[in-house]
Amino acid sequence: MSTPLHYVIIGNGMAGNAAAAVLREHDPECRITIISAGALLFYNRYDLPNVFRGTESWVDLLVHPPEYYERNRITVRRKSPVIDVDSKRQVLVLAHREELHYDRLLLATGGEPYLPEKLKDSRPLMHNFGTYRAAMTMRAALPDGGRVAMLGGDVMGLDLARALIETGHQVSVVTDERTFWPHEVDDQERPRYYEALERMGIEVRDQGEVDRIVEGAAGMPARHITFACGEDLYADVVMPFFGIAPNVDFMSNSGADMERGILVDGHLKSSSENIWAAGDVSQIWSPKSKSYRFYYGYRNVRRMGETAALNMCGEAVEFDTNDDDVIEIDEAGRIQSPFWEHD
Amino acid sequence: MATHDTDVQISICGSAGDGTIAAGDLLKQAMAHAGYRVIAFNTYPAEIRGFGKCIARTRISTEQVYSMKPRSDVLISLNDAHAIPHVGEVRDYGSVIYESAPITRLAEGQHISGHVRPGQLPYGLPLRELSERATGSNRSRNMVALGFLAGLYAMPREVFHAAIKAKFKTKPKAVSEATIAAFEAGLEVGAQTHRFDLVELGEPPESLPGNVQILSGNAAVAKGCIEGGLDNYFGYPITPATTIMERLAHDLPVHGKRMLQTEDEIAAISGAVGAGFAGARAATATSGPGLALMGEMLGLGVMAEVPCVIFVSQRGGPSTGLPTKTEQSDLNIAVHGGAGDAKRIVLAPTNVEGCWRCAGKAFEMAEAYQTPVIVLLDLYLSNRFESVNFDPDENFNLSIPRGKPKHRPGESFRRYQVTDSGVSPRSVPGEADGLHPATGLEHDEFGHPSYEADVHTAMSKKRHDKLNKALKHPAITISKRFGDTGKVDVGILAWGSTFGEGLEAMMLARKEGIRCAAMKVVMLSPLPEAEISAFMDDCDEVLVPELNFEGQFANLVSGTLGRPLHRLNEVTGHPMSVSAILDQVRALAAHNARNAA
Amino acid sequence: MQAELKEPVYLEDKLKEVRSSGRLDYRSEVLPTWCPGCGYFSIAEGIAEALTALKIPQKDAVVVSGIGCASRFPFFMETYGFHTLHGRALPVATGIKLANDDLHVLVVGGDGDCFAIGGGHIPHAARRNVDLTYLLFDNGIYGLTKGQTSPTSSVGFTTKTTPFHNHDQPLNPLLMLLSYGASWVGQAYAGRPHHLAEMIRQAMAHRGFSYLHILSPCVTFDKTDLTYKNMDLLVRDLPENYDPSDHRAAMQWAAKAGHEHPSLGLFFSEEHPTLSDNMNDIVARATA
Repeated sequence: MSTPLHYVIIGNGMAGNAAAAVLREHDPECRITIISAGALLFYNRYDLPNVFRGTESWVDLLVHPPEYYERNRITVRRKSPVIDVDSKRQVLVLAHREELHYDRLLLATGGEPYLPEKLKDSRPLMHNFGTYRAAMTMRAALPDGGRVAMLGGDVMGLDLARALIETGHQVSVVTDERTFWPHEVDDQERPRYYEALERMGIEVRDQGEVDRIVEGAAGMPARHITFACGEDLYADVVMPFFGIAPNVDFMSNSGADMERGILVDGHLKSSSENIWAAGDVSQIWSPKSKSYRFYYGYRNVRRMGETAALNMCGEAVEFDTNDDDVIEIDEAGRIQSPFWEHD
Repeated sequence: MATHDTDVQISICGSAGDGTIAAGDLLKQAMAHAGYRVIAFNTYPAEIRGFGKCIARTRISTEQVYSMKPRSDVLISLNDAHAIPHVGEVRDYGSVIYESAPITRLAEGQHISGHVRPGQLPYGLPLRELSERATGSNRSRNMVALGFLAGLYAMPREVFHAAIKAKFKTKPKAVSEATIAAFEAGLEVGAQTHRFDLVELGEPPESLPGNVQILSGNAAVAKGCIEGGLDNYFGYPITPATTIMERLAHDLPVHGKRMLQTEDEIAAISGAVGAGFAGARAATATSGPGLALMGEMLGLGVMAEVPCVIFVSQRGGPSTGLPTKTEQSDLNIAVHGGAGDAKRIVLAPTNVEGCWRCAGKAFEMAEAYQTPVIVLLDLYLSNRFESVNFDPDENFNLSIPRGKPKHRPGESFRRYQVTDSGVSPRSVPGEADGLHPATGLEHDEFGHPSYEADVHTAMSKKRHDKLNKALKHPAITISKRFGDTGKVDVGILAWGSTFGEGLEAMMLARKEGIRCAAMKVVMLSPLPEAEISAFMDDCDEVLVPELNFEGQFANLVSGTLGRPLHRLNEVTGHPMSVSAILDQVRALAAHNARNAA
Repeated sequence: MQAELKEPVYLEDKLKEVRSSGRLDYRSEVLPTWCPGCGYFSIAEGIAEALTALKIPQKDAVVVSGIGCASRFPFFMETYGFHTLHGRALPVATGIKLANDDLHVLVVGGDGDCFAIGGGHIPHAARRNVDLTYLLFDNGIYGLTKGQTSPTSSVGFTTKTTPFHNHDQPLNPLLMLLSYGASWVGQAYAGRPHHLAEMIRQAMAHRGFSYLHILSPCVTFDKTDLTYKNMDLLVRDLPENYDPSDHRAAMQWAAKAGHEHPSLGLFFSEEHPTLSDNMNDIVARATA
């Protein structure tokens, strides 16, 4: 009886968990370890706006209950950042100095919210929303009926905006080239889309560069934004929504080719032996556009995870998606984005 | 359970040198003085020294509880190799706290974070580093971890500081200061850590009135002995009774009394019988193997009607058995041991407070009924800590008036006079007009050997009848019923520490709609037949859970009353689990319902 | 060894003397169950004389025994008494003494009771210097159970349990007690009742653990070894210049003693703190 293969997945998001499910289905004997830097089991980030719709506990957000992982014998190591990958010895090193050997490795570390350089100093005054903790912190900071200023306004931010407006809060979007990210809306189309945002109840501030963000004075909302053009915007919470940048710091020793993300072929395989990548961290070769490109969105990320897993098991499956990452305005004048459908 | 109710069990697991037990001690002292009810139990390595595993478990609650929980809410690992096998003990959405920065590289599986179950929440922090920064050495990792726990769960730091200062009050001030520094270093990190687990530590209840102390069963026995007027203690070391002797070795001389470590158990019980004969309040403590040795001398105490008290803390048997595991398998020899019809008084407390009460009352009862009294504990109860409210009890240390020696001119003193109650007048050496021989031979009223049929019959009757009065002895609870009154589906009839688990099972059963009651029986000999009978009258089914193989108490009850009952027997070396009893209760209730349908 | 010829002693005079001495007060009305000629009768007399001479109140005297012919003693004494278990007289007596320092505790027992089943208790009573008097009635046999070999029986002694031969080397009680640190060790003989009475008195007067080994023939079950006839010829006194404070000399004499050449008299005596003294010392330390 041969030793079961050890599949290691770095990243506890949609891609990683979809891959784990497929791996278990295909290989009942193998060992599967998911490694996460965070404390919680997999919950759907895209459902975080529900904290404004009655969700009180992260337990309600879990995609799978704990016993799912026990039943499927999937080890989920949490609070275990990876600090090094030695692709020659096929060994990972965790921050607490434990070394894991892998037979097949999947990188599914996703991305961090991207923050433009010029706003880095203002980070302490801003709230993120990408994790449960960030979401609860932001919710606590926002008074009833308060106003959120969203800088940029990518589709995740706009999804949150819908929930905020629904629950009686106010939203201003400070536009930028990354508004509607990852969709690309050319300049000619933009005014129509801004109008659609306004029809949603969002205040659109298309006023150019942000000059400063400071704490509000006593008696005023907590944040005060001044634009280069001289205009002001007062809000209770300021949030950056400039899209995502891949998490690849620890991969420097891996020998895998990288650009902004991990470069993979159509089978999601990296240039490094026994290493695959899926999800927001991966850039997949597109023969059509003759370039490595990202695919975003719940369904794409899940499909990438599943495809990578099949390939890791020895099948040869091309990543294929029908999901257009196209943003539209429907007949009712509402913005529709495939990224807002997460079922 | 209401949201404000607290019921949190914290397990600290480490190697013998990690200060595991010390951390557990400080935690329970602090929490008891914060006003929570505390019950705690430590497990020690089987071997004395070296690198064995220790686990200190502490259950903190607002409502009174009666047992340890099989699942803990929090596990602190001071040594991953030891703690990893116990990760499964932590419930879903509970916490696992551990060292995040080990000094050596680890192979896969050697760090506890890889064993944390999917439903549990991990909290790592650099214990060693924080300890070294706060105190200059790594020996205070346990205090850093304790501080982290306190910070994470917003426990009041003052009670910990007070407990640390009290512990080190005989050492230089620098020791408690360094310890507090390590504690605070951990607390700071804990307070800033975002908590994802679902463990809720609410406010403590209104301060418990009176004088609250946290004591082990053995310590409570020693306290009861001192307050009950113990004059002379004779003892021989045996696990798990040794600490009773060690405490009394200190406390008795402090009170001007005497303690002697003898050459064996037979000498110990002999000394107690001798001192009792001479009019002193005397005691010894042992475990099953020692009680077996004491059998003959116990019989002498019964036959010669000499008062003395024997504490027996039961452990795994038979023979040398399992010295560090708990069991309830010495009931038979406690009640029946020794040659002949040697009936004596046997008491079995069910919790730490009961250990104190039974110890205090035992001396009084030994003198009142002129007989050895056995107080039966078990290892779990001996070593379990509970927060107890020790209000001063004026009922202890009653001085029983001895019948005035009647001197009929020309006649010797009738030390063994047959009376209505069965209790004879008693003189002790040093008293004029009371001269008599005491003997293990059957004897007449003067104490002289006699083998006549009518003498043996009358004396046997006297020795048995006098004990019945013990059933009505004042200020001691010999049996008590809890739970539903009137008719019930299932009655739990239990003794010793297992009663605690039985009581909790009863409460859970009632919540599920089963009509359930529980009765604790504290006096095993003489057996409170009327009370047990009345209880069994009310129960459709009776369950007797106990930690021995065949059901020694079940045998005693069914042998005496001749009524059917169900047995639940375990000999795992561990306390019975509440769920094991509850499962049986459910099964009996369901069976009952089917039969009724 | 021969007594000098004295004036004739008349029975009535002797009775008058005995009755007025007061020592009968210490004897109960129960008739002893010993065989006629048993050495224990002399011992009983000796104890009564000693108690009289020392003026010990009856209420303060406790006679503690084990099991055996000797063990019946408490019933024959008009004092407090405790007839305990085979081999357990010493630890019970220790308990009695610890409970009340004012009591005079007298422990009696035979060679089987003391050295067979009771052997484990002697070293501790001796080394703790419990202030009691231990009278050991050595008849080299188990009499009550009708004649079995005991730890002091001679090699070659035939009994019901050694019908062919006894190979076991007998113990040397005096040597043992000396090595256990007993603070008073003496030997007497039931065939020399006056000397015996005096030794008992000295033993009781000693403050500390006193051990008096008394050779006492069993007239019923031993017709060959420890008999009056043999003992009368073998016993002798310790030499004139014998120094009972010399422990090493005592042990050398004890090594030479035994049933072959038993020496009578005080082998060793010294005073040091008793168990009660030491208990009081501990209380003083604890309450300082």
